[in-house]
Amino acid sequence: MRKRVVITGVGVVSAVGNSVPEFWISLIEGKDGAKEITAFDASPYRIKRAAEVSGLDPQAHFTGKELRRFSRCDQFGLVAFREAWKSARLDQDPIDKERAGIILGAGSGGILSVEKYFRDFYQGKGKPSPSLLISYSLATSTDLIANESGLKGPRSTTATVCSSSSASIGVAYDLIQMGLADVMISGGSDSLCEVSYSGFSSLKLVDPESCKPFDKRRQGLTIGEGAGILILEEMEHALKRGAQVVAEFLGYGICADAYHLTAPEPNGEGVERVIRIALSHTGVSPEEVDTINAHGTATPFNDIAETRGIKRVFGERAKEIPISGIKSMVGHCLGSAGGIEAVATALTIKNGIIPPTIHYEVPDPHCDLDYTPNQSIKKGVRVAISNSFAFGGNNVCLVFGQYISNADSGVRNAEQKSEI
Amino acid sequence: MQNKNPKSEIRNPKSTKEPRIVITGLGIISPIGVGKEEFWKNCILGTSGIKPIQRFAIGSSRSTLGGQLPEIDFKTFIKPANLRRMDRIGKVMVSAVMMAIDDSSLDLSKEDPHRMGISIGTGLGSSDTVDQFFRSILKDGPVGAQPLLFQTAVPNAITSHCAIEYGIKGVNITFSHKETSAEMAMVYACHLLREGRADVILTGGGDELSEPLHHVYSRLGALSPGKGQGFEGMRPFDRDRNGMILGEGSGILVLERLEHAEKRGATVYAEIAGVGLSGSTDGVLRYDQKGDSIARTMSQATKDPSLVDYISAASNSTLDLDRAEAVAINKVFGEKAKEISVSSLKSMIGEFDGSGGVRACGVALSLYQGIIPPTIGTEHLDPDCALNVILGRSKKREIRSALLNSCSNGGSNISLWLRSIDY
Repeated sequence: MRKRVVITGVGVVSAVGNSVPEFWISLIEGKDGAKEITAFDASPYRIKRAAEVSGLDPQAHFTGKELRRFSRCDQFGLVAFREAWKSARLDQDPIDKERAGIILGAGSGGILSVEKYFRDFYQGKGKPSPSLLISYSLATSTDLIANESGLKGPRSTTATVCSSSSASIGVAYDLIQMGLADVMISGGSDSLCEVSYSGFSSLKLVDPESCKPFDKRRQGLTIGEGAGILILEEMEHALKRGAQVVAEFLGYGICADAYHLTAPEPNGEGVERVIRIALSHTGVSPEEVDTINAHGTATPFNDIAETRGIKRVFGERAKEIPISGIKSMVGHCLGSAGGIEAVATALTIKNGIIPPTIHYEVPDPHCDLDYTPNQSIKKGVRVAISNSFAFGGNNVCLVFGQYISNADSGVRNAEQKSEI
Repeated sequence: MQNKNPKSEIRNPKSTKEPRIVITGLGIISPIGVGKEEFWKNCILGTSGIKPIQRFAIGSSRSTLGGQLPEIDFKTFIKPANLRRMDRIGKVMVSAVMMAIDDSSLDLSKEDPHRMGISIGTGLGSSDTVDQFFRSILKDGPVGAQPLLFQTAVPNAITSHCAIEYGIKGVNITFSHKETSAEMAMVYACHLLREGRADVILTGGGDELSEPLHHVYSRLGALSPGKGQGFEGMRPFDRDRNGMILGEGSGILVLERLEHAEKRGATVYAEIAGVGLSGSTDGVLRYDQKGDSIARTMSQATKDPSLVDYISAASNSTLDLDRAEAVAINKVFGEKAKEISVSSLKSMIGEFDGSGGVRACGVALSLYQGIIPPTIGTEHLDPDCALNVILGRSKKREIRSALLNSCSNGGSNISLWLRSIDY
């Protein structure tokens, strides 16, 4: 018998808000987080836009010594973690730290600091500080959070980049199922850096204008950054301490296209499979899915493959399921994309509001579903899925459900509960 | 072969009998041998793979040694057309996977590709490719960015290469958590197999030794003799140890449920019978200082401590880790600790994040053959590391079960308990 796992805390740092309330209001109001890049010198680049985090005062969160040692990625991760930890009331409730662990997803990690080091080193500008190299490992943000909060349970980091933090949520769930932990921190953090920016630019995957998922005019993604952290907790453990439940995490699917290093399988076969695996793993029927948080990178190929995959699973009903492409607002946050989108999906369920896909104007005949254009909608959501696909065709689909206690018959019923 | 009914993904979810997960294939590319035979021969002889680094310039670092791979003719493993899109570590990983599949006698045409998975642990995949890409944009600006380099610069590219090469369409995941990367990949693979979410999973890890990686470790003071006194060298548990030497390579294991292995008549090396995971919180660059967390992972993993005859240690010739691991072993096993043979394969191959793959292959071979490879380089056992360390020469003994320990600086600790199938 599987254990039920619930989400008891969330935290976010993003281009559209550095706390959960601010982030959520921006999402439902359809705010675009893209702006001119300041994190590194983007002046040589033709396109200088990214969904950069702004308005986060590092001095308010960290000491001078910490700021010299923590990369931008570490800082986002810690700020989002502290919000999640507090919102789960884990800063007050005594828990067995040996049964509390962490697994985060990484993208480029603290490479912005490493770039600073090697830029100076290779150009012979003095002897850069080795403190910048603490972030060379993709595990650094995970270890920093664990060390700060005294987590003595299982600890690891996933490294599938664009699907990393979704995978981390899945693995966190499994570690709870294995009986190795009651509480698992999951999600991810990532920051802008020149390597990933120039890399995506060189692959011609960056839109010179705004990011327009599923729109016919789309030309690619806007790179983003930030952190999305979720506290997963075994349900009985959460109930015993009277924790507030945001939503239930029902399980996930993970698989590979095994098709190409950067391009998705064009017919949506990999997308179809990962959604089907996720539904079968959780015992959810396709009819129960009320909304989809799309991977929706706004690259020409991804959006078609994803649309085709969704149609292959849901058939005629696909057109009735509102789909959300929040990368149009927060950008593609790579290692933290899945975490930020998971927070958005959990809030969608909790609040009964589906965030929009913004900049959507011209329909593409190849993308003919309901992408919740430009305006959020109110709708009770029983079950929501969130897709993440990475380079190499590494696919993950997460399944979230409205939390219904065992006493309430176990039937998910949207109409009764969440119409606002 | 298409899996028409995804419901079948979970087979016997209510079955009370825990499926047993076994190792049926090994693929090894290491500084002491390419392929299982050469690797094992050198393991038993106690051959060192550690030599002066030749592939790149050391710069001003006082650490000049590394466990480097020999030159490998990858054309014997991979089609020339496919070789072109892979960087060096990509080729190493794909070749090791091929050897593991061969060794397991797995007939890929008879397996459902959707129920085959791959779970890999690595530090950065190709740290060299990332560096080349970065140097190129540093030199030429945005036009220097090479898309072909970028697509292999991501850490999961090595895993994707393997999936694409062999059409593995099930689970696909990459972990990167310092020295516990490959162990985590194996823990996850075992869990998925136990739950029936796959039939066969290729798992393990790999890394390459590169100029930037060596530079980073050197600058962080982690290498011998970057820290402390004495001469440079890898000597786990030695009183004069003074830091680690980096290595490289790949070790891949074929895992499946015993029932699946028996049905196809596969050779079983060993069973993975338990896992333990925990964290210590002594600092982001520090190992577990007191050994408490390492002790917990070993206790968690070992279902029957009386059966443990061998521990493949995580010790990597650093002051802290070797001492903490020794404390932990004595804490968990008490008086019995004296009877347990302890050895660190890292003394021959060096330390790297995905070393758990090669080391797990080593433990599987030990269990299968009843031989424990020695810890080399160590001359004067540190009194703080009072263990039964196998020094100098390999030891023949009956091994009923063994622990594979891994510990990362920053504080992740993972142990796997491997059991001979005969016990």
